[in-house]
Amino acid sequence: MIQNRISQSFNAHLATLQAHFKIIFTYRGMMLIQAVRLILLPLVLAAAWLSIEKTAENPYSDADYLLYYLLVPVILNLTDSRLVFRFPMAVRDGSLSRELLKPFPPLSGYALESIANNLIQLVYLLPFTLLAGYAISDRLQLGHLNLQLLLCMLVAIVLGGLVRMLISGSISLVGFWLEDVTTLNLILNGGIWALLGGMIVPVATFPQHIRSIAEMLPYRYMLSFPIEIVTGRLSQAQILQGFAVTIFWSLFFALIMRLIWKRGLKIYAAYGG
Amino acid sequence: MMQAMEYRGSFAFSIIANFFDFIFGFLQYLVFFTAAQSIAGWNSDQMLVLYGVFMLVFALQFIFLYPNLVAMGDMVNSGNLDLLLTKPINAQLILSFRRISFEELGSISTALVLLGWLTVKGVIQLTLQSVALFLVSILASMLLIYCLFLLLMCLAVFLERLDNMAQLMWSMFSLCRYPVDVYPSRLRFMFFSFLPVAYIASVPAAALLGTASASQIMTGMIIALTATFATTLLWRRTIRAYTSAGG
Repeated sequence: MIQNRISQSFNAHLATLQAHFKIIFTYRGMMLIQAVRLILLPLVLAAAWLSIEKTAENPYSDADYLLYYLLVPVILNLTDSRLVFRFPMAVRDGSLSRELLKPFPPLSGYALESIANNLIQLVYLLPFTLLAGYAISDRLQLGHLNLQLLLCMLVAIVLGGLVRMLISGSISLVGFWLEDVTTLNLILNGGIWALLGGMIVPVATFPQHIRSIAEMLPYRYMLSFPIEIVTGRLSQAQILQGFAVTIFWSLFFALIMRLIWKRGLKIYAAYGG
Repeated sequence: MMQAMEYRGSFAFSIIANFFDFIFGFLQYLVFFTAAQSIAGWNSDQMLVLYGVFMLVFALQFIFLYPNLVAMGDMVNSGNLDLLLTKPINAQLILSFRRISFEELGSISTALVLLGWLTVKGVIQLTLQSVALFLVSILASMLLIYCLFLLLMCLAVFLERLDNMAQLMWSMFSLCRYPVDVYPSRLRFMFFSFLPVAYIASVPAAALLGTASASQIMTGMIIALTATFATTLLWRRTIRAYTSAGG
């Protein structure tokens, strides 16, 4: 009798353990896939830029391009925001009501979740970046790096992440009105960002007139700017100017969010949400 | 295509997304050429040919994959992979002629218009040989995409999750967006053999531009057929393992 009980209990524990392993294994698989996704396009672009005809106006050399696209996956990951997927869904299926009851703004919850996700993803990205960096270290120029530049880069990443979060937040809040904000997000956050933020083309290599526009928009600060700091070509003044622009856009979108939130909530409540 | 793969049943938005997909892809090339003159021997006009071919291949492929994508949408929502067994996805290799939707026609037309304009402009020279080579290479390309799709499905069954697959597939296609000549020689060799990415867009585009050889096209077709055979076997195996494990 007792033996039966013990073996039953053992089996139950084993099954639970297996289930947990399965979850972790699947989760790891997902993380790995996500890492591959983050690395693929930068790899392709690095190869593309390395094989262009070099012109005189282009300030970037091979070493610059290599460093740039080496860092893109990590920066991309750190400034990324999943907010825009979670919030509209909550509005649609009404779970927002539950979230509103918590003593914690729902958007902050999703934001923190997004940040946590990004940090975990580093477990896969950092080793890759360090290994790849080591493998091509003879082709990189890192002599100018100092602590100050690295600190500036970190600040830039944090600010870039912040402004991206706020833009995503603003787009998410449109979810109060539009059922599907994915297209809006694709355009405002995805497409334009890839074009002018430094994904397809490093901002520093744009011709002057495009570069000035790109430097005014918030997108550059989510990707290109931190990397530009590390390449050591920006002066102190330019770095501070960059911070200022990022902060400006952050405040701008924070304000927009505040305005939309109030109105959106009224509509949501009116629908018996 | 990305939109439809995260299919939520919103057709209006897929049309718009399709349109913006095209526009942004197009802008991607334009933006690239603001900072570069040519890339690995391809100038901006030739790159546009590549882009047109890329769009065409995917628009065509979308038509055949579409029924499977719809089925996938159900599976993603219900979280239940058992539907895989009821939909004979493997049978989709046979042309499934169903009503071609407006948006699919739109994508194909846009790609054809782009390629047509480039022909008029003289970038593409249409000869009997180039057209024949092009058609064969397009067929090989579609087979290869289908193989990739099946492989990702196997992975999805293995991991019992489907959501990331669509995005992974789209990411892998970024390997096809630039001419295969940009890659260092060893990588290039791999892209012409084990990971035959080159045959998806680069080689058909080269066929149109008259720079691809018949032997290259033939090799591509052989690889495509072999890959289709192999991945179909793998797929059948995976399904069998999945069902016997009690699904």
